[in-house]
Parts: sequence; structure tokens; C-alpha cells
Amino acid sequence: MAIKNHDRLSSVETIQDNFEKLGYICNMQIATAVYLAYHLEKPILIEGPPGVGKTELAKTAADMLDLPCIRLQCYEGLDESKAIYEWKYGKQLLYTQVLKETLGEILDGAVGLAESVEKLHSFGDVFFSEDFLEPRPLLKALKAEESCVLLIDEVDKSDHEFESLLLEMLSDYQLSIPEIGTIKANPDRKPLVFLTSNNTREISDALKRRCLHLYIPFPDADLESRIVHARVPEVPDRLRKQLVTFIQELREMDLKKVPAISETIDWARALILLHSESLDPDLVRQTLNVILKFQEDIETVEAEVQNITNKALKES
Amino acid sequence: MEKTLVEFVKVLRTAELKVSPAETIDAMQAIDLVGYRDREFLKNTLSMVLAKNPEEKETFDSCFDRFFSFKKIGSEDMGAGESQDEFDDGEFDEDGNSESNQPGGGKGSGQSSGQGGGQMAEEDHSLQPNSELGKLLLSGNRTELMVQLAEAGREVEVSQIVVFTQKGLYTRKIMDAMGLKGLQDEISELQSHGGPPQKTLSGKLKKARDRLREQVRDYVEKQFFLHADESGKQLREELLKKVKLSNLEKRNFKDVQEVVFKMAKKLIAIHSKRRKTYKRGQLDVRKTLRHNMQYDGMLFDLKWKASKVDRPKVMCICDVSGSVSNYSRFLLMFLYSLAEVLPKVRSFAFSSDLGEVTRLFQSSTLEDAMAKTMRDYGNGSTDYGRMLMDFKHNCMDDVNNKTTIIILGDARNNYGDPKSEILREMYDKSKRVIWLNPEPKMSWNVGDAEMKKYAPCCHQTEVCNSLTHLERVVSNLLRFAA
Repeated sequence: MAIKNHDRLSSVETIQDNFEKLGYICNMQIATAVYLAYHLEKPILIEGPPGVGKTELAKTAADMLDLPCIRLQCYEGLDESKAIYEWKYGKQLLYTQVLKETLGEILDGAVGLAESVEKLHSFGDVFFSEDFLEPRPLLKALKAEESCVLLIDEVDKSDHEFESLLLEMLSDYQLSIPEIGTIKANPDRKPLVFLTSNNTREISDALKRRCLHLYIPFPDADLESRIVHARVPEVPDRLRKQLVTFIQELREMDLKKVPAISETIDWARALILLHSESLDPDLVRQTLNVILKFQEDIETVEAEVQNITNKALKES
Repeated sequence: MEKTLVEFVKVLRTAELKVSPAETIDAMQAIDLVGYRDREFLKNTLSMVLAKNPEEKETFDSCFDRFFSFKKIGSEDMGAGESQDEFDDGEFDEDGNSESNQPGGGKGSGQSSGQGGGQMAEEDHSLQPNSELGKLLLSGNRTELMVQLAEAGREVEVSQIVVFTQKGLYTRKIMDAMGLKGLQDEISELQSHGGPPQKTLSGKLKKARDRLREQVRDYVEKQFFLHADESGKQLREELLKKVKLSNLEKRNFKDVQEVVFKMAKKLIAIHSKRRKTYKRGQLDVRKTLRHNMQYDGMLFDLKWKASKVDRPKVMCICDVSGSVSNYSRFLLMFLYSLAEVLPKVRSFAFSSDLGEVTRLFQSSTLEDAMAKTMRDYGNGSTDYGRMLMDFKHNCMDDVNNKTTIIILGDARNNYGDPKSEILREMYDKSKRVIWLNPEPKMSWNVGDAEMKKYAPCCHQTEVCNSLTHLERVVSNLLRFAA
């Protein structure tokens, strides 16, 4: 397989470096996954809590390879006409109307119904050809000239039936359209496929079997600090350490929804905006709603703010 | 190396990872790509190909560490043994061996091993052991020995080891497979006739043999932990599923709980998809119109009416008096582990007075809830008539044609009034009434048991005294929910 810029995928370290240049800090596992996905030509199924950068990974990979990122957002009720292809019914109709006039010429000289039908058959299925096909994300990804990154976001939100639709695409990089036949991806430029799941339901074994499985957990303090640094470089070192420690402490607590990396980054931006140099309990209390999204969580944490802030200050 | 991977996959399977043959092939391709050189890289790679959810990843990690640690520890052991022992030519150390194993290894090491061989030859010029194993033992080629050991292990199927007491047996088998007999014969031969040089050689061989035995035992032990620990657990779980629940002892509860969760998980996987049944011949006008709008309102793609199969609304009435409490415990445990596919479970407990415990089970852990239920409702003699009266007063209004009522109890009413007419009323109002009785069918009507009167007012009566029975009941419950 030789897609554009494939040398950027030549080894795990290269991938890590290239990701870092784009502001996406990743550990060995993530880089290994991308490396394997490309070389084994297998899709990656990414699972993990919300906000750890699952979707971001796919987008960054597209950026890194300088390929278009085709995104399919899954939801309940998504079906093949939204995901794979649809016939352009309006166009078909319009063309029939226009062509009505010329019908006489075509059938010129044909006698009787049987002969006319025979004659029409010789034109083939003009109305069910690729000209009248409206490609949707999956088909688009297969037909992409320069290959592409296909992101199937939140597969777990779709129905069971849709998962089965994906199987052909994921294992053989091809799709079957009854009227036209099988459409295959260019064997040298197969798309790089990422699937993400928030684990709201168990993905079927059939789908899992066809994918590499990558689980992205919450990062440890060190990695998170690097991520914040890459994303919000204007945060001073001391504050960064404090807020990362604070968040890490929060994750230990029993909360309805613990803050993810994206919340850490948001918080860092908010603190910059407020020109704060260091954490203090009052400031934390005022900005708690940036990192916690449930009132009951905020209430639980408010009682502990003093403690945790002190801890964070001591750490730095 | 393929064999190694296949064995590793086998180990993973005993550890309850579902690894399909296709995934094994994927793993081989991946290994071709990454190679065996970087341990961490290999681990990450295999973990991505073989383990497909967070729990599996954890199991995978520990399996990987245990499985691939074997070689390293083995050679360390031997290295230690060697330095103390009669092979005082220290050149025969680990790296000498591993190097010589690689084609075109460093020149220096090649030399050193050559030297060692030379010394050996000088020492026992005329006395070389004749048996294969003897030669191997004295040649000092530990890598080769280790390979032979592993191969012998494979031959006698040491991976089939199930219980700890088989250790001796397998050690013996492996030793035999490696050619112990030839060695023994040689030793005794050397000892019975021959001068001092023969005696020395036999002494050496003996020592080497004993050391080998140690190593084999060690090897078998490791294999035991790798294979049998898990399969022993499987054996136990199978047993637990069949054993009568009342015979379970407290120390088993934890295991049983695990089994219940596993069974529940299986059921969830099967039933998590909400089925639809199509009503033949009934046009869904709304859907058809909307769907055909894209065709200019031409109705050529028709949609039929379908109804989703409802999740059953379960009311579960459990006898928690002494004799039946264990069964109730596990039935409730089962039902609440199924929360994902059975969201609306209401549970009641009684021995005479009936009380609702739904809230208790929702708000606290299973253990606590169970203990509290037992404390609050567990005492007193059973009175089914009273229970039915209470149910009628409190909950009869909530029963409708979607409700499934499960009653678990032995129907031993202490000769009280059975009030089966209330059960009849429940039977009429609800979708199903299922009576689970832990006693064998023949004693259903013996003594103070009232099953004869209750049974006609139930859609289904079942003997239910093991986890397998429970699983069957719950599975049916989900299947016929429509």
C-alpha cells in the first residue's frame, strides 16, 4: 500500500513524533495502533471514556497524512441510504421527462411490444448507472482517488443492523450495490478506517473481530501535562502542574462524570482568560462548571475544593 | 514460532478470552510485521489484535507476562546452577549459549564455546556418555536442553494438566519422553562395572539427572499455573452451576456471584437487541407516505406495521424464610444483574408479611440489600395466604397484561389458608405467572405443601434448584417476552 506521505508511518516513533508536531501527544499504544492499522490494512476500533481524544486521533491522522477525512456520524436509525449510497431519484425523473421526446426516434421502426422492449434492453440500465448514484460517506471513502481517512464516529449509537452493513466494508474494503455490482477500493490506496465507540452498548463480536482494538484510558499526570502544554502553550508551568494534579484528584472521586482531557484543556483556557497565575479555592469554585457537567458532582466537589486545591498547590 | 503463538492463544482461551482462529491468523500477520525483538511493542500489538475489551486487555496483560516469562527465568535458573556445579569452565554461560544459537553470532563467543568444548574433550577423552540424554546433559548446551524439555512437554501434553497432584506424574512423563531410561541404564552400567573414570562419569550423570528433574518439576509447575489454574476454575464453575443452591456454603458465594454475572452477561448479549415482529398485511400509512416522499409521492416502497417486542415487566415475589432463602438470593442476584435487558424489575420479599425491596436493591449493593432483606423479612413462619392478601392490597393495581409475576417458594403454608383465589386473580390480570419451586416435583404435594392448589393458577411451574435452572427460566422469560 502506498498512500501519500506513507513515509510518515514508517515506524512507531516516527508516528509519535509526527503526531506531536500536530499537537497530539500519544503514548506507544496509540502510535502502535496506527502503525498496525496501516501496515496490516485493518480498521481500528477505538474505545474509551468520552473526551480522551478518540475522534481527535482520526482527525490528526488525516492531518498528518494530508488526506481528506471523511466522517460518518452514527445515530439511531442510520441506514444504508445515508451511509453508503442513494439513487438520485429527482435526476432520474427529470431525465425520463426530457428523454420522452426522443423515445420515438429510439424506437424507430420497432413493431410490436416485444420488439420495442428488445430495443430498449440494448441500451442497458442507463438510469441505474453511477451517474445517478449519490455516494454517501462509505462509498465516497472507497472511491477516493488519493485514499482518505474514514472516521465512523460513535458506532455504538447506531443500530445493530447497521453494524452488519459495515462488515463487508471493514473486512474487504468493498461494497455491493445490487444494480451496479461490487465497488472495491484501490488495492494500493485503501482508506485508513477509524471507528470510535463510547461503549454505551457492547459492539458485536463480528465487528470487533475485524478490527484492531485500541482502548484509550484517561492519561496519567505526566502525559496529561504534556497534552495541556501542547494544546495551551501559554499556561505557565506552575499552573499547569497544579491543574493537572487537581484533575487527577477529581478522577479518583466518585463522580457521575469525571472530567476528561478535553475538560482539562477547556479549563486551562478559561484560567488563562481570567489571568490567573495559580489555583486558589475561590477561583476553583467559580470555574468548577467548566470541568464538571452535573450539578450533583459540583456539589460533591465543592465541599472538597479546599482540600484538593491545597494538595495541588503542595504538589507543584 | 507459530507453535508458540498457538499455545499462547490456547492459554488466552483458558483464561476466557474469546480468540477466534481468524484473530490468530491476524496475530501471526502482525508478528510478521513487528517481529519478536521488542517485547513491549509485541505486547501492545498482540493486545490490540487479540483482546477486544478493557477487561480482556487486563487478562491479556497478565497472561502475556506469565507466558513469555518462562524462557528468561528458565535460563537464569540454569545459569545459577551451572556456576556452582561441576562445569567450572565458566565460558558455558547463558550468553555463550544464546549466541551460539544464532547463526553468525559474534566471533569471540564462538571461540569461547569452542574452547570450552576443547577442555571437555581433554577431560574425558575416552569417556563420553552413550545415551542421547546423557550427551545432551554433559554437553552443556542449555538452550538445546530447554528446547527438548519444551518439546517433551508438548509431546506428553502437559497443557492438559488439571489438578495440582498430577505434577509428579507429568514430571515423570516428561523425563521419560526425554529419554530418562537410556540414561538410567547407562548410569547403572557404569556403576556396576568399570574403574574410577567410569564411576566419576556416572556420578556426573547422576548429578545432572537430578538437576534436570528439578528443572522439569519447575517447568511443570509453571505450566500448571498457566493452564490448570484457569481450567480448574472452569471445572469448579461448571460444578457450581449444577449443585443445589441450598447446599452452597457461604465461602462459595463469591464464586457463585461471579458465575451469575457471567451467565447474565451471556443473556444480555443474546437479548440486548430489541426484536420487532411484523404484522402481516397491515400497512403503516404514515411511514409509507413519509418514506415515499422522495419518489414524488409514488407509493412503490411499502412499509408494514411492526411492533417492538416489549421488555418484560417483572414482579418477583421471593420467599425468604430459612429453607428457601438461598434460592431467593440467587434469583434476585440474577434479575438485578440483568438490569440492562430487564429494566423494570420490582421485587418483594416475605415470609409472612410481604414487603417491597425494589428500592433497597437499587440503592445499595447486592450483598447489603440481601442481608437487610433477610433481616427484615426473613424471620417467622411462612404464610402464603397472608402474602397473597398483602399483594392484593398493595400491588394488584399495578399488575397489567404486560406484567410477568415470578413467585419463588416451596408453597409450604404450615396448613394455613392458601387463598389460591387471589393467585387466580393475578393469573387473570397478568401476562404470566411463573412459580419456581426448589423442591423436587414429587414432594410438591407432600405434607403442608400446597402446590396442588396453586399450580392450576400459574402459567408455568418449574423445579428450580440450581443455577442452570435459574438461567433457563430467565432466558425463557426474555425470549417469550413478546
